[in-house]
Amino acid sequence: MNKNYLQYFLYPSSLFVSKEPYVVKTILGSCVAICIWDKRLKVGGMNHYMLPTWNGNDLASPKYGNIAINKLVEKLLAMGSRKEDLVAKMFGGGDMLEGSNGSGYMIGERNIRMARLVLEEKGIPVVASSTGGKRGRKILFFTDTGEVRHKFLEKKVY
Amino acid sequence: MSNLSDRQLLKELKIRLEASKKAREELQTLSKEYQEVSGKLSESEALKSHFISNISNEIVNPFTSILGLSKAILSVEKNDWKKVVSMVALIHSEAFNLDFQLKNIFVAAKIEAGEIAPNITKVNIRSLIQNVIDSFNIVSRKMGIIIDLQYNVEYGFGKNLYFKSDSEKLKLILSNLINNALKYSYKDSKIIIKVSIEDDILQIAVQDFGTGISEKNQKIIFERFKRLDSGINSINRGHGLGLSITKALLDVLDGDITIDSKKGEGSTFSISLPEAKNMIEGFSGEGNDIFFDDDDEIF
Repeated sequence: MNKNYLQYFLYPSSLFVSKEPYVVKTILGSCVAICIWDKRLKVGGMNHYMLPTWNGNDLASPKYGNIAINKLVEKLLAMGSRKEDLVAKMFGGGDMLEGSNGSGYMIGERNIRMARLVLEEKGIPVVASSTGGKRGRKILFFTDTGEVRHKFLEKKVY
Repeated sequence: MSNLSDRQLLKELKIRLEASKKAREELQTLSKEYQEVSGKLSESEALKSHFISNISNEIVNPFTSILGLSKAILSVEKNDWKKVVSMVALIHSEAFNLDFQLKNIFVAAKIEAGEIAPNITKVNIRSLIQNVIDSFNIVSRKMGIIIDLQYNVEYGFGKNLYFKSDSEKLKLILSNLINNALKYSYKDSKIIIKVSIEDDILQIAVQDFGTGISEKNQKIIFERFKRLDSGINSINRGHGLGLSITKALLDVLDGDITIDSKKGEGSTFSISLPEAKNMIEGFSGEGNDIFFDDDDEIF
């Protein structure tokens, strides 16, 4: 930590892209965050979506995986990235609800599947990931180095 | 693999058949899903083009009236000042409407771009609600509608409740609800706004005695661009974004909205909004702290 990073806390259904070196942090449960980093320009961005697919009714916001990933890639391309320089890291998609054994909504699982599908379709390789499981996650993404620091959160009982 | 017994062969075949059956089933559900999505998409596209024609009316009409009215004012004789007052009132209401609709559209664009984050401050709930009501004063007076604020919060500093939330978003949420209530009310009626707080959850209910919404339609009013009276002859103006924005904003603030309505008797829109916490799982949203733990994994 020699550099003084600017910080950004990423809220659910939003996304963040910057040319400046930033550290972007977020907290994930069944949500999924995709960090996309440009190897050539050393810039990156992150999204944080809650549900896999847009239902066509609400505003087409990055609350939905298919929209969030497309918009993130679009923003990076608009900043001058080339598609072939992009790499992705994906996190989250935990199974947070008690007693959701297969019969549940499997939101985490479906969120992850959507990410793999869209990234594969775009030809962006997933170079690292930590998904699934039963716990939440805290992640910090450094947009200049592409490094992600990741920690599991202990479940709190309310 | 060369020498399989009949039994093994049968077993293997069975497994493969089963697998292909499963794959086919999966394909069927997927194609069904795909059809649904593509149906929705085309519907959405139709709504969008409808929206564009709505919105151009929304923007062009007020501008035309503002331009026309101000031109008329410029040519008014000096002793005719009474005429001017009424024209200025019209200009004001057109400009107010324009400003409100534009705010909505810009917020919708921001939500869709993912550039929306709560901006939490301590909000004086009472004065915020009063301000929003006051901003609709001219419209409500013209329609003869009384807006009755029932403020049922007993505690707080001089009965002023300071509540951690996002004031701009809350203002827009309330404006949309009140605007709708006014729009669908009959002349010379009233609107009741009830405010209460329970367990750090703020409850605001906006009740009107207007046209009401049938049960079937209650489900679709939150969808974007959807308007119940979207015919070309519809009396009411609007772009059909208000409630979907309201819902998306409440999403950002962790809140919720419910409707209680009967056709012909009016509707009540109730929002519940939890007090915002600055801390999210041990670290603040905007503080300058980064904690590096030794047990951080690095990817």
